[in-house]
Amino acid sequence: MPRDNPRSTASIGGHPLHAMLAPIPITCFIATFITDLVYWRTAVILWADMSDWLLTVGLLVSILVVLAGLIDFLGDRRIRAHRAAWIHGLGNGLVIILSIINGFIHTRDAYTSVVPTGVILSGLVVLILAVTAWNGASLVYRHGVGVRSEDGQ
Amino acid sequence: MTRPRLFLGAALLVGLAACGPKPVDPRRQIGANPYLPPIHQYLVPPMLVPKIVPWGGAAPTVPAGLQIEAVARNLHNPRSLYVLPNGDILVAEADGPKAPIKRPKEFIMNLIEKQAHSHTKAGNRILLIRMNAAGQPSAPTVFIDHLTSPFGMVLVGNDFYVADTNAILRFPYQTGETAITAPGVKLTDLPGGPIDHHWTKSLTASPDGTKLYAGVGSNSNITENGMPAELDRASVWEIDRATGARRLYATGLRNPNGLQFEPQSHVLWAVVNERDELGPDLVPDYLTSVKDGAFYGWPYSYFGHHVDPRVMPQRPDLVAKAIPPDYALSSHVAPLGLVFYNATNLPAGYRGGAFVGEHGSWDRTALNGYKVVYIPFKDGRPNGMAQDVVTGFLGGDNTVRGRPVGLAIDKAGGLLIADDVGNTVWRVTAAP
Repeated sequence: MPRDNPRSTASIGGHPLHAMLAPIPITCFIATFITDLVYWRTAVILWADMSDWLLTVGLLVSILVVLAGLIDFLGDRRIRAHRAAWIHGLGNGLVIILSIINGFIHTRDAYTSVVPTGVILSGLVVLILAVTAWNGASLVYRHGVGVRSEDGQ
Repeated sequence: MTRPRLFLGAALLVGLAACGPKPVDPRRQIGANPYLPPIHQYLVPPMLVPKIVPWGGAAPTVPAGLQIEAVARNLHNPRSLYVLPNGDILVAEADGPKAPIKRPKEFIMNLIEKQAHSHTKAGNRILLIRMNAAGQPSAPTVFIDHLTSPFGMVLVGNDFYVADTNAILRFPYQTGETAITAPGVKLTDLPGGPIDHHWTKSLTASPDGTKLYAGVGSNSNITENGMPAELDRASVWEIDRATGARRLYATGLRNPNGLQFEPQSHVLWAVVNERDELGPDLVPDYLTSVKDGAFYGWPYSYFGHHVDPRVMPQRPDLVAKAIPPDYALSSHVAPLGLVFYNATNLPAGYRGGAFVGEHGSWDRTALNGYKVVYIPFKDGRPNGMAQDVVTGFLGGDNTVRGRPVGLAIDKAGGLLIADDVGNTVWRVTAAP
């Protein structure tokens, strides 16, 4: 049975930008949690500096990820019809707000740039990402968002 | 579920950014027992740097009975002053080495710093100004060139010492010379770059001339560059003039400047810049006697046993040893110049005490400092409230025309002030 999948509006040569870029901030935010944990246990400042860079890069790339995601979301009514798309978008909005706050916390000097508020926020972000990434994957692998339709459309 | 949480997150962000502690009257933080409010760690630290406008024909303000004039204008970052026995005035033009970027924060900080400091590139040299018999200054000429962020200067006999940011150099000097071309001989290395957070190395000599004392500031606000970067820093070094051997004379002094021996008691004093980002009214900067072997708290604690939670691992053993400084100057005034007044030109009310040059705050919304104050002394100890002496560095509408740094007393008893934003050396004397 031929199937017409929801289209990704922000795409290059049929490759959705959102799906291509999203792994970068996801990786950065998970790595931030790890380097925060290591700094918490060791107090070696290099780890806190790494957290700071990871957060900054994650947030900068997130600007593009959010733009591409929003364009896709607004570009096809069939995407908006999925409950998973709403949970994915709102959940990741929260991820970004928490990460911005976390970025400011990480500009503090030395131990309190991470412990306790910074590492708690980093951990919370990873927990939310587990939910939103699951929903994002559902959109692609179950609902075929951005997946090339069998009729070649 | 998600919507209320999102709203909560937004409210948290706005709320945390907006609320701040109640401001403290700076007068409550001047003297031996300053009021210390609870720690307030910011989400978004306030930074307020006034816009630089030139002096034009204007000058700082002095109280009745005093007058002020410019001794030299159009300098390149004049930071510190020294007066030779024949009355020649030396001016060190310097700025700090370029700071490496370790964190994204430092991009922003560098931009702010650029705004706060003089836009003129520093000379990194020492200039000489000679007063003629009528008290008129000569145009500045180059005394020693090609230095590395010079700050401290002191003459002992025929040996003239310069504290570059990374070494103490000795130059031969004969009375009346207006230029030294002989290369400097290194007496000792000082902690310099690649990170060189507090780069100004203050310098003085013991009254008997056998020892030098150098102020070596910390390499961070509060250990955020790691403890290895703090080796032998945040301290006053004692250097044997004959051998160059050195030891740590006192420690725990975050950024000690203006090293001077109090003329009556022959005790070493300094002004110290305390830590930032614990709130607009923490931690007060201070003026203190520097006791041999004493520990003044940095980084582990401030004003005695007030522990700083940002330092890890903590050291309760050192906190227990920390002694409080003598005289708080209020928060973030950035004292960089200190001189005791032992001359007779200024009215009696200004004799025997200490003048302090306050470079001025950058990390609080109510600006503090940006003036020269006088602290009366009795029997070698501060005795009474600090009084404003030279003000008017701030203009209206969040502008600044100058920032006082180093101080010195000239041969006629005038108070000299290096102004590194106005690029001027000012001279305060008794009004006729």
